[in-house]
Amino acid sequence: MNRIGRRTFVLTLPGFALAQNPSAAGSARQIMEEVQSRQKADSQHYEGTLEVIGGGNRIATKRWIFDRLGSSGNSKAMLRFTVPAEVKGVALLIVNHPDRASDQWMWRPAIGREQRIALQDRSTRFFGTDFSFEDLEERDIDQYDFKLDADEGSRWKIRATPRKSSQYTYCFFLVDKSRYTISNAELYNKKGLARAIDYRDFDRVKGIWTARTTEVHDVMRDSRTILKYDQLQFNIPLKDSDFTLDALRRTL
Amino acid sequence: MKIALGCGTVLFLISSAAAQTSGFEQRGFLESQPFLFPQTAPNDSAVALDQALFQWDATYKPVPWFRLSGSFDARADTHRQVDRQAAVSLDDRRIRRPALDMRLLSAQFHKGFLTLEIGRQLIRWGRTDILTPTDRFAPRDYLTAVIASDPLAVNAVRATFSGGNDSLDLVWQPWFTPSRIPLFDQRWNPLPSEVDGLQIVDAGAHYPGGSQEGARWNHVGGQFEFALAYFRGFNNLPLFETRTDPAAATLLVERDYANMQMAGGDLAWQFPWATVAGEAGYFRSGTPGAQDYVLYVVQLERQVREWMLTCGYTGSEITGGLSTPLQFLPDLEISKSFVGRASLTIDVNRGISVETAVRGGGSFVRAEYSQAIGNHWRITPVAAWLRGDPADFLGQYRRNSYLELVVRYSF
Repeated sequence: MNRIGRRTFVLTLPGFALAQNPSAAGSARQIMEEVQSRQKADSQHYEGTLEVIGGGNRIATKRWIFDRLGSSGNSKAMLRFTVPAEVKGVALLIVNHPDRASDQWMWRPAIGREQRIALQDRSTRFFGTDFSFEDLEERDIDQYDFKLDADEGSRWKIRATPRKSSQYTYCFFLVDKSRYTISNAELYNKKGLARAIDYRDFDRVKGIWTARTTEVHDVMRDSRTILKYDQLQFNIPLKDSDFTLDALRRTL
Repeated sequence: MKIALGCGTVLFLISSAAAQTSGFEQRGFLESQPFLFPQTAPNDSAVALDQALFQWDATYKPVPWFRLSGSFDARADTHRQVDRQAAVSLDDRRIRRPALDMRLLSAQFHKGFLTLEIGRQLIRWGRTDILTPTDRFAPRDYLTAVIASDPLAVNAVRATFSGGNDSLDLVWQPWFTPSRIPLFDQRWNPLPSEVDGLQIVDAGAHYPGGSQEGARWNHVGGQFEFALAYFRGFNNLPLFETRTDPAAATLLVERDYANMQMAGGDLAWQFPWATVAGEAGYFRSGTPGAQDYVLYVVQLERQVREWMLTCGYTGSEITGGLSTPLQFLPDLEISKSFVGRASLTIDVNRGISVETAVRGGGSFVRAEYSQAIGNHWRITPVAAWLRGDPADFLGQYRRNSYLELVVRYSF
């Protein structure tokens, strides 16, 4: 398995397996492969609570249920809003591909139609949160070039450059040496630092080290979204037929 | 209003009890929607009106392969667009909105690649936004504003076969549901000067007795999606037959619904700079007075930061039949227009959207600002401005510019 989902660090796989022998330290690519191999899970489920803290410290709370089937950039995910009431039933289907950007469709029950999220629209914030649509997808490790930027004692700082279409020109990942988990990410676009992500409250779930909290800071807007993961489960039985356009329409 | 609130209370109690059951989900809202029209219309002197809507949606999924869905509306208004009878409507054939309406009620079975839904359901076809020629199983409600209509559900059986990147939708609608057209004594149905002095009376409708069928094949590709669709049934928009009673100075108007066959398709292609979407349908009818025509839309969609921009052109070409003023066909009549929509997400609680249509003889602009307050409340002020020549489809509504305020409590 030579693949890793970069956006996984944000949402879909908030933690990674414990590393006992960081023998791959000499190569950024090997480090990321090791991170990926230790975080691998065939499926995932969680209930997320988001607090969006905008200008003037206005706080909006949302909740969603997230399910993923597959891994390593070859996966499908379904995200369904449950709170607040006015967006309950809104759903997003993400079909990740190992060799290209994901396909995404959003279902809006109020109009009874799904809407494909165009590739050039992926930099848009997702439903007013500080995640963009692109941040929700899981990308293959082969879609990036990695370079070890610094050895910071307990962490490696790895620079990742997307090979294909992305709003980001490059990213930095800080990888915890003891657990092979991403603790921080900095995502840069043409204008500079766009988003800073902090992963914390790590917990071990079914042998996988997982961040229980992710905080995204949209630097340009000075807005933050804090995502907390509840009911987190890995390797549960999920059906492929629950990750289709037809399934998207079957949501409330 | 008492009816709406009374039903709401009862349903709320039911839902609270049902919510204890596993597999049960619900949501709903209570909404007030006052309008202010700065100008009166020749056939409508009202300048202020209000309508209230309570809507409750629920689903029950006792096993993974079965789901029961329902949606109930209770309405009240000040302008008699809502029936004053408190009976629950199941057929949606009244000229006014029912006060109590089982908007949706369907059973859905899902097994493997097949999803079967039976009952009252919303069926939406097509891909373009502002006009969707292939959306034939979605009659619309034009009562409140012709430029902001809502889709109606239909009683139908829908089978969807999904596999990989393809899906096939088969629909059988045994019971015809018409669109709800503007009332003859209200501003969204401006009457020609030839009927000045006559009282216009709705004399009912000849509803077609047969069923409607359709099929749609949808394919999803890497950077594109397309669909081919076929529909055989009836136009949900009416032709009019008139009879004059000179003694009573009355014009009796009957609604008739032409048979229709539609073959069409839609396509969306993602380019690095924008998404190009198109949709077209060829409509054919054997009913005297009905026309054959091609209706198409081409649009560009582009995201610029937090702005979502859509612009396009809607066109049509009459291929057969004679034009008659005795019809109400807004989807055809608004064609040959440049259309656009822009929406901005300001932050997690606020948004703005503007949509417009501009054609040779008329235009409209509709702008709204939406603000969420807490987790339950949302207020949406709206302003719509219509201008044009009286002979133009949009221009005939030139006295119908309005202000609107939607206040919604969601639960």
